Amino acid sequence: MVKLRARCVVVGDAAVGKSSLCQMFRSDGAVFQKNYSMNVGVELLEKSVSIPDTSDAVEFYIYDSAGREPFAEACENMWNQPSLMCVVFDITSEASFTSCSRWVDRVRSHCNGLQVPGVLVGNKSDLWSRREVDAAVAQSWAQSHGLEYHETSAKEIGQYEAPFLSLARAFLSLYQDQIQLIQSLA
Amino acid sequence: MLDAALSSYGAQVVLATSSDENHPPENIIDGKTETFWISTGMFPQEFIIRFPDNMKIFTVSIQSYNIKRLRIEKGTSDDADKFETVADTEFEHTESSLQANDISVNVLNTTHLRFLILSGYDHFVSVHKVSVQS
Ligand SMILES: Nc1nc2c(ncn2[C@@H]2O[C@H](COP(=O)(O)OP(=O)(O)OP(=O)(O)O)[C@@H](O)[C@H]2O)c(=O)[nH]1
Ligand SMILES: [Mg+2]
Repeated sequence: MVKLRARCVVVGDAAVGKSSLCQMFRSDGAVFQKNYSMNVGVELLEKSVSIPDTSDAVEFYIYDSAGREPFAEACENMWNQPSLMCVVFDITSEASFTSCSRWVDRVRSHCNGLQVPGVLVGNKSDLWSRREVDAAVAQSWAQSHGLEYHETSAKEIGQYEAPFLSLARAFLSLYQDQIQLIQSLA
Repeated sequence: MLDAALSSYGAQVVLATSSDENHPPENIIDGKTETFWISTGMFPQEFIIRFPDNMKIFTVSIQSYNIKRLRIEKGTSDDADKFETVADTEFEHTESSLQANDISVNVLNTTHLRFLILSGYDHFVSVHKVSVQS
């Protein structure tokens, strides 16, 4: 039984729903912010999740960052050696999807060359009638960037958790691989 | 006592910022390199070794994996919560072997050494053995 600790950086364009997702995850679905309150800095949230079928858990230190400049740039100072990344776009905004590669590059530049597991999240899936980004396109883009793709609606119970669980599993698997490697050396 | 297990002299690890019950901090001072303590994510990480008596220490030897920047501090005699830096170093990255480093510290008397791991070559770093030369 182990409790890992991960610094998880959450990025993406303004108003795609990063804070909504993080708040829902943190509060187990109790808090959905209807009114938009723009981030002007990093909001730090803490949340532990148990990984199903194991006795292990990951404690997330979530760095919910601002999407709008110049606030976004100021957030970067706090990302120092991220463990995980969560890149969010809004499925009703092609522009927010196009920005993702810039967000990925920005986070990677703070990773000191370490392998940092990540997810790509297409949010606002409840607004499917206004969809501008094809799920298959997002899925294959994610794959080519080593990210796992999830579609969510921060408004709906039972959706916001999947991306974080997949990050937790990926982090645990890095940990287990590392222990195996160390045991083979020592 | 460079190669001896610090624990056999009554030293203890009194604090460690990570714990996996399979790889407890006591493994740092049991004298064996096969057993280790591993950090469980994020930096900085730290552990503190307490000696039963005041110690004169010239060299600290540490066997580890994936540690990048390490700072060693000594406890000051007048205040148990205050520490003073005695070494600040960056280790080379090793791939197929453990890192083995001797760090000169020149500590005249202290009962506590604090090890601050500021960064790593991986998310997780391990410490296999710490010994001291007086
Ligand atoms: N319909 C719908 N609206 C959502 C969803 N997620 C968030 N919203 C709304 O979108 C708006 C922006 O959400 P935020 O979570 O504040 O966006 P953000 O990405 O944190 O924005 P910045 O902090 O400016 O970077 C809010 O009005 C939310 O209520 C969703 O899944 N579906
Ligand atoms: Mg926000």
